[in-house]
Amino acid sequence: MSELLASALPSRARMRRTAPAVVSAVALAAMVAVCASLQSDVLSVGGLTLVLSATVPLVIAAQAQMTLMSVGDIDLGIGTFVGLVTVVSATTLVTSPLLGVLTLAGLIAAYAVLGALIHLRRVPSLIATLGASFVWLGLGLFILPTPGGSTPEWLASFGSWAPAGFPAPLLPILVVSLVVYLLSSRSGLGVRMRGLGSNPVALERAGMRPLASRVIAYTMAGALGVLSGLVLASQTGGGDVSSATSYQLMTVAAVILGGGSFFGGSAVPWGVAIGGVTLGLVSVVLSLLDVPSNMQSAVQGVIVLAVLAGRVVVGKVLR
Amino acid sequence: MDNRGPRAGEPVVIAKGVTKTYGRTRALTGVDLEVRAGEVLGLVGHNGAGKSTLMRVLAGLEACDEGAVLVHGNEVSGAAGPRAENFRAVRMAYQETSLCPDLTVAENIWVSSRHCLPRLGWRRAASDAVRRRLDEMFPGHGVTPRDRVEDLSLAQRQMVEITRASLVDRLDLLILDEPTESLGPDAARSLYDYVRTLTAAGTAVLLISHRIREVLSVADRVAVLRDGAVTAERFAEGLGEQDVLELMGAHVAVPSDRERTAARAAGDGADRPVVAELRGATGPGLREVSLRVGAGEVVGLAGLAGQGQQEVLERLWRPVRRDTTVVGTRAYVPGDRQRSGVLPLWSVAENLIVTAMRGLARQGLRRPAEERAAVGDWVERLAIRGGADAGITELSGGNQQKVIVARAFASTAELVLLDDPFRGVDVHTKTDLYGLIRQEAAQGRSVVWYSSENAEMAHCDRVYVFRAGRVVAELVGEEISEERIIAVSFAESESDGEQSNE
Repeated sequence: MSELLASALPSRARMRRTAPAVVSAVALAAMVAVCASLQSDVLSVGGLTLVLSATVPLVIAAQAQMTLMSVGDIDLGIGTFVGLVTVVSATTLVTSPLLGVLTLAGLIAAYAVLGALIHLRRVPSLIATLGASFVWLGLGLFILPTPGGSTPEWLASFGSWAPAGFPAPLLPILVVSLVVYLLSSRSGLGVRMRGLGSNPVALERAGMRPLASRVIAYTMAGALGVLSGLVLASQTGGGDVSSATSYQLMTVAAVILGGGSFFGGSAVPWGVAIGGVTLGLVSVVLSLLDVPSNMQSAVQGVIVLAVLAGRVVVGKVLR
Repeated sequence: MDNRGPRAGEPVVIAKGVTKTYGRTRALTGVDLEVRAGEVLGLVGHNGAGKSTLMRVLAGLEACDEGAVLVHGNEVSGAAGPRAENFRAVRMAYQETSLCPDLTVAENIWVSSRHCLPRLGWRRAASDAVRRRLDEMFPGHGVTPRDRVEDLSLAQRQMVEITRASLVDRLDLLILDEPTESLGPDAARSLYDYVRTLTAAGTAVLLISHRIREVLSVADRVAVLRDGAVTAERFAEGLGEQDVLELMGAHVAVPSDRERTAARAAGDGADRPVVAELRGATGPGLREVSLRVGAGEVVGLAGLAGQGQQEVLERLWRPVRRDTTVVGTRAYVPGDRQRSGVLPLWSVAENLIVTAMRGLARQGLRRPAEERAAVGDWVERLAIRGGADAGITELSGGNQQKVIVARAFASTAELVLLDDPFRGVDVHTKTDLYGLIRQEAAQGRSVVWYSSENAEMAHCDRVYVFRAGRVVAELVGEEISEERIIAVSFAESESDGEQSNE
């Protein structure tokens, strides 16, 4: 009987790996419950749309971060990169759509080049992406010195899209997470990337080029960063290069909350989606609780630390 | 079993006068070797004989400096690496495995055998292939293709690694590097059964192992590698363990018990106060290890690399367990000076004095004059080129090593632990440092010294030889010789059968 039970339950190793995401999910449920008790409208379609919409660009940017963390790198430039994309989509993309699209493609290519440089010059990714973040910032300020502009119509209509049956922000979160899951966990490309983060020597012995793996990961991260920027622009209706600077570290926190690791090798797209939404909801909860806005950052940090501590405790218990 | 013995197959891989030099060390000095289709060739040799370098060259992972490697009679430049079409049918199972721990078993198979798998549905194809091959090679393995490698036991990882190497559409040569090191006896037996079915189908197998009995029971021919060259090639038929040990340069005579006790009474320092002691220490990598270090004694830890010597140093450095007693302070000299030895931005003086600083300081304040004097003294004593003010990275490797050793001895530590510190150091430096060790021991310091170079053990008062985490011999005084150490570190004792049953 106990054997039957053991085979039905997920293995201990599997439980250990999913534990962080489960802890985040519990925290998420707790926060939704708190929100609902304070303001019962939160649970309606409209309420959920409102609450979730701010988390969409964060989740997508966190997927970009997760892609790079799966090869063992960390991206400290993703926030300003997303900001730069909002600037491009509020200016060039409106005035000359073709040039705008080319610019965005060029930004993705720049990420690929950045990955190649990091690999070939053996620069720590932390330093290189931090340096790149200043480049993104400078470019953004050059194009649009003060926040403003307006987004193309199609983007704006996506931002205000409100289907009747379900909260609209759920769709992009699920679709992007599914695509990232298929690419990073189910495809050969994903195996290449995770293999690089896990054991580059084995990859090389098998005749694969680590450079190619890293460039693929950076390209994917760049594409997700562009997507995140477009979504953010659709919501704010304008461009601001510093609108997403908080993503720099929030995305890392989302990946860690979702069960990722700093050492590379693992891809946890669903965990990242949960972690990103959890992080995004913290500020909503705090607003509903009437926490003074100048205290919010500090309280937000404490909540993140508490969830991370919960992850560590659960990890110890399951070991 | 009947069809074993000499068989004249066509040569699959030939090495002709292959040499390979890493910096100052000559790993291979001219290897001639031929592996023929349908045979098992056993390769034996001691630490640093060049086994792993030769394997890397034969598997096409590295280019050789001189000479040539021929696969099926075609000369191939090793620089092309395993991507070259030629080496695709040469596969190697590594001792330390070449699996990605975060990936599943099936994904690891895809990484190494993707050209034999369909583009779509590779996951299923890889899973089926690996499950079938594992069942064939290691019945009762308990591995499923969806398991992540990091969740497998050491033995299971080894099984997956060997299976990974064997999974390819065409296999001409399979190189097995210490395949049974972490396998239990049953798994080893079924592996060798499978090896025989492979050779019957015409595949060549190159088996590297330090378990000589095992090599003799499986191989058709045995090649002995010594100082970077093949010094002997024999048919395994009729060859005994002792013969192979002699070919490797071992001195096999075992001293009688009486001799041993006499030697022990004379020179093992039983009268000396004990500085450090391990009593039946057991743990990861260690089994029932008991050893004793007396004051003013130089104790050597010898044997093949990775048999528990470093674990002993670790225990002595952090004596947290009850079975370990260490009196007084300790200093540690790491072997990997680049990673854990030098402080690269500091000068020679700062690197040298960093451990002694506290002892010299008064009330928490450093005393520069005393520090300078101590540094000057050591720089002169060990003739460190460049002087005290040079940057540590401006020094040659040998001189850096002198600084690191001096750092340990400059402290007031009563016990100095040396973790194979003289690898790749030139002869002059070594002689200087051996002298230093003896001098310091004469003044009452104790030294525990792990070395992969058996010749160095001659400078010790007492040597413990390790094998699979056990002390298999304790050599004292006159008994310590390179030949004896080789003999005892290879000779298989009765207890070997159950050694790695995890």
